[in-house]
Amino acid sequence: MSGLIELERVWKKFRYGEGHGRLRDAIPALVRRALRRPDPDAGLHRGEFWALQDLSFTVRPGQALGLIGPNGAGKSTALKLLCGIMRPTAGRCTVRGRVGALIEVAAGFHPDLTGRENIYLQGTIMGMPRREITGKFDEIVDFSGLAPFLETPVKRYSSGMHARLGFAIAAHLEPEVLLIDEVLAVGDAAFQEKAFGRITELVQQDIPVVVVSHQLDAITTLCTRALLLDQGQVALAGTPQECITAYLHGVTAAHGPGSGDSPVRILGIHLGRAAVESGQRLGVELTGVTDGGPAADRLSVRVRVRLAQTGETVFETGTTQLGLALPGAGEFALQLELQMNVARGIYLVESAVWDRLHGRQLLRGPSSYVEVRGGPPFEGLVQMHPRARLLSGSSTAGHVP
Amino acid sequence: MTPTALDVPESRSPTTGAPMAPRPARPPALQDLWASMRDLAGHHELLVELTKRDLRIRYTQAAMGVLWAVLTPLVVALSGWMIRFGMSYLAGAPIRAPELAGIAIKAVAWSFFTGAISFGTLSLTANLPLVTKVYFPRAILPLSAVTTQMVDTAIGAAALLVVLPLAHIGVHRTLLWVPLLLALLVLFTSGLTLIAAAGNVFYRDAKHVIQLVTSFGIFFTPVFFDAGAFGPRGTRFLLLNPLGPVFEGLRLAIVDGHPLLVPIVNAEGTVLWSAAYLGYAALWAVGLAFFGALLFRRVEFSFAEYV
Repeated sequence: MSGLIELERVWKKFRYGEGHGRLRDAIPALVRRALRRPDPDAGLHRGEFWALQDLSFTVRPGQALGLIGPNGAGKSTALKLLCGIMRPTAGRCTVRGRVGALIEVAAGFHPDLTGRENIYLQGTIMGMPRREITGKFDEIVDFSGLAPFLETPVKRYSSGMHARLGFAIAAHLEPEVLLIDEVLAVGDAAFQEKAFGRITELVQQDIPVVVVSHQLDAITTLCTRALLLDQGQVALAGTPQECITAYLHGVTAAHGPGSGDSPVRILGIHLGRAAVESGQRLGVELTGVTDGGPAADRLSVRVRVRLAQTGETVFETGTTQLGLALPGAGEFALQLELQMNVARGIYLVESAVWDRLHGRQLLRGPSSYVEVRGGPPFEGLVQMHPRARLLSGSSTAGHVP
Repeated sequence: MTPTALDVPESRSPTTGAPMAPRPARPPALQDLWASMRDLAGHHELLVELTKRDLRIRYTQAAMGVLWAVLTPLVVALSGWMIRFGMSYLAGAPIRAPELAGIAIKAVAWSFFTGAISFGTLSLTANLPLVTKVYFPRAILPLSAVTTQMVDTAIGAAALLVVLPLAHIGVHRTLLWVPLLLALLVLFTSGLTLIAAAGNVFYRDAKHVIQLVTSFGIFFTPVFFDAGAFGPRGTRFLLLNPLGPVFEGLRLAIVDGHPLLVPIVNAEGTVLWSAAYLGYAALWAVGLAFFGALLFRRVEFSFAEYV
């Protein structure tokens, strides 16, 4: 039997705050909850909200669906319904096949037990038969790289070791259906790469997969389709690229281009390409309008490049730094070429009007994003174009070039 | 005040405007129970693993380790003996060794009951990350508290086995009743534990109620004394406590070698024991186990939202 994930018009209602408080209300409510059929009214009572509204999707073997959206969009709720932790208020949720969930992979660990004992405990909690755990025990330990600490209680592990052990167990499930929630950032860089490799292997099996992540480049790599969720509703269904574009535009729009009056305003941003290889040049064109007045003189038009995954600014420059002066009254266009000497990922290219006198941002302009792909292999944030040579034998004693 | 259906506008799909999808129908009770049992059977290895976990935790970092399993019932038994000494002094009647043995047996059974429900009640709230993040039948958690306590109590009972011959308690054919009585005790305890654990997720009052039961319930249950010690009314009262007949039955079967189908009537005509009481206790145990399992099944999917 092949796996299948299907949500059919699923609704999920939550409450704000606490439900009931005292025992006087408790016993009748508990009994009612147990015996009565769910109340038929379909609306919201006071203090309730929809975490999901009319969500439908089907994921068949070989497909991988990415769920993206801001916090509170309903991504994790959807996953909890798929896991079987919760049930929908309305609609139908079908998951066929043995579920492998890469979610909170260390949730079952007990601090007082040793690594070895916890492998069995967590493995069983995740639904692995004991025999299977025994069979894969060495592989799991090997993957985690924690062999010397197997007899150490987990409470003495660092949080990185904790996460690595949890991931190693989860990575050896043999799922017919795979659910992944934000487990891509475990351990150090080397382990992350190994983990990502393992996840890619799992996803490429002929099984249905649902991925929730804020690491957008992971969604692009892993998923065949994506849904952009917003406040429990589907904002967009499409390719990962389309959804990420819409999401990032939404994110930047949410911060708002600032409605205040400004002598200089940026009207548009245009990127030469949607994706570039690491190290290639990317054309950026900003169009705007200035009133040419004296106030415009102390303003600068800036371009900022941020790593979407972390929000970290990797590069920022502006007309002042570039030694450019804005022209007199009227429209203008600022053309830049940026050499994308950065690691692969998705980068936001934002524009802003900067007040040089007061040293603050006056206005936030439109933004766009670009995906940086592969390029020559390196790790870290920035390509430093290493020039290297390898010496051998006695010639090693010497100097740094 | 609960709003009625009329106060609340019906929800419509934000995208298509269609009315809300039908709510999932609740399966009939027996079907629900059956599904629950199958789910549990599929996860028996998890029950074993969690039991092992709890036993390890209970004993590995305790200086006295496994001795605690013996010490707890021993202290209960000692308290019972103290009370019995007082009672016999007042009554001017001598104490017989079988009486003390009876108290010891019931003390072990009582420690099982209190240990299981107090650990079980907290089992869901204590394993919060599991309950909110990982799927498995939640009943495994309170049930593993019961099985853990079963192992724990078995150690205490083994110690008892060594001592009983010293009180000249021999082997009777009526010992065959013991497995049935223990099964009733486990069923009753499991049912109560499931209800208390589920209740504690929604209302922390459950924890306090259970604390009262475990600290003072012993005075309303024939543990320190025999049911007959309180006159006709008191006897009936103690035996109407569903645990009463189980405890008395254990004493009669192990210490007195009394066949449980035969009633006991004292000189004043008070019925100290009858098979009907046993039936009554069995009804309670089975009923509570069923009710507890059903109630638990019906609320377990909202645990993750409420804890």
